[in-house]
Amino acid sequence: MPILNSVYRHREAGHVLTELVAYRAAGGFAAIEQSIGEMEPDDLLYVFHRSGLRGRGGAGFPMGRKASFLPKDAKLAKYVVCNADESEPGTFKDREIIEMNPFQLIEGMVLAGYAIGADRGYIYIRGEYEHQARVLDAALIAAREAGFLGDNILRSDFSYDITLYRGAGAYICGEETGLLESLEGKRGQPRLKPPFPAVAGLYSSPTLINNVETLSALPPIVTQGADWYAALGPEKSPGTKIFSVSGHVQRPGNYEVVLGETTLRELIYEHAGGLREGHQVKAVWVGGSSVPVLGAMHLDTPLDYESLNAAGTFLGSGGCIVMDDSGCIVRATLRLASFYRHESCGKCTPCREGTNWMERILQRMVDGEGRMEDLELLESLFGRISGKVLCALADGAVAPVASAIKMFREDFVAAVTDGGTPRPAPMSVVEVR
Amino acid sequence: MNADQVRAHIDPIRHEYAEARSLILPALKFAQTEKGHLTREDLEAVGEATGFSAAYVESVASFYDRLYLAPTGARVVSVCVTLSCMLRGADEVWDHLCEREGVSHHGGTSEDGRITIQEAQCLGYCDRAPCIQADAEETKGPFTPGSAAAFVDALRAAPDPHEFWR
Repeated sequence: MPILNSVYRHREAGHVLTELVAYRAAGGFAAIEQSIGEMEPDDLLYVFHRSGLRGRGGAGFPMGRKASFLPKDAKLAKYVVCNADESEPGTFKDREIIEMNPFQLIEGMVLAGYAIGADRGYIYIRGEYEHQARVLDAALIAAREAGFLGDNILRSDFSYDITLYRGAGAYICGEETGLLESLEGKRGQPRLKPPFPAVAGLYSSPTLINNVETLSALPPIVTQGADWYAALGPEKSPGTKIFSVSGHVQRPGNYEVVLGETTLRELIYEHAGGLREGHQVKAVWVGGSSVPVLGAMHLDTPLDYESLNAAGTFLGSGGCIVMDDSGCIVRATLRLASFYRHESCGKCTPCREGTNWMERILQRMVDGEGRMEDLELLESLFGRISGKVLCALADGAVAPVASAIKMFREDFVAAVTDGGTPRPAPMSVVEVR
Repeated sequence: MNADQVRAHIDPIRHEYAEARSLILPALKFAQTEKGHLTREDLEAVGEATGFSAAYVESVASFYDRLYLAPTGARVVSVCVTLSCMLRGADEVWDHLCEREGVSHHGGTSEDGRITIQEAQCLGYCDRAPCIQADAEETKGPFTPGSAAAFVDALRAAPDPHEFWR
């Protein structure tokens, strides 16, 4: 069913657009025709800027501003890099865009490339998305054959092609400088910033890095105008956002909402089908797992950057993991701590050691070997990890643990006094419609 | 795999990168398709074809979960155990598969050498939780312990793929 105010054409059309003719029929490539060779690159950049589009990968940095940081020097090699290393727990929106609508991403990357004067674009896709990579392979070939990629796009002076680069299994390669290291054929360990990628990115050249969802939003911004996009939702952070809802909901899936117009409760109960009969929300990680957890008292928070910040968390990637009152917050927190311990790249000692300690302490609480002083011990770790490292992974590791202890302290105390926490029954697959 | 085979794979894409080092990861992934893991000879072949030492190539390979520096089973089964899948029964699937394949609760390779079971971090299929990925094929789900066992049985019975994309 077509979705009102959808930015992503396959959602608007209500079917997959993996064939180039289908994408064209849905209005695709009109933005390229309208801008490449027809508009000044700076004017196109200004369209992005005026739209108010913020990065949809997690950090939420204004896209147009980021692009404007790149030097204008035409002699410098410049690159566009698409971050398709979607690995944030609970997030599967980029997968949908690539699987169902790969040309919109390609078109967005051409527009971004033209605006900054790029020599080439790269899509860095996680190795586990081999199926999606093959969809993109086919789409890139089709786009090239149709003249939307390659030398002199639509007979303009602009030549630009896109290379698809497959990762090999590392969450940290979703961190932009870890990604660049990996793309340069190194271990995917983040770099010290500054310099930021806009100044010295891929091969030390100015590089614009954006997420799949961000770049895919550019074509409709061009065809329908920056004003149309800027008018969707709140003034400071307009547009739509795809939320991936998973966990204890009846209809897990991707739901695109206009920012600020939908509450967390509506996302869970109306879009995602609500919880099982007789259950209440216990905990929600609304922006992927690297954000502070919310509780039932936060359900009426509107879904937008500012409102979620006011509620003490972040919009992040929009990977909304819901746990009902059958779940155990101590075990859930341990599971996330294990994730970060596994994915810490090991470069910075506070993160490498700290994630290990957080997991060990939570594990012994779950196993019934916890001590009362473990809560204070855990809390003493947070400040020794956060802010003492090169990238955001460590903050992401601390956020769900620190917030869970703050919000559900009695559950952690009970794990110690009751001699551990039993494994709760999962929401079984037969309960999935 | 030898250096000529690696070269035949990366030469057509060489011009896409300003530095040859970027070819190491595509070359490693390709070299792995032959045996499903990377041997000393593979690392040397990748090094020769890209212009880097085998030691450097190994330092890169060892960073990534999906590059295997030791032999695996004929098929590698990745069971997602991250939070969304856990809430929908991933631990029950994991326990059942480990028990059936006779491997420790950390995972491992079955005695007949057919199946390696490994924990995976979020595979991005949380809408189909709990999910499982065989090698780098499209991730499937949702699974019950029983349907996961049937999935593994089907992999065990099927002929090995011609190329091991992992």
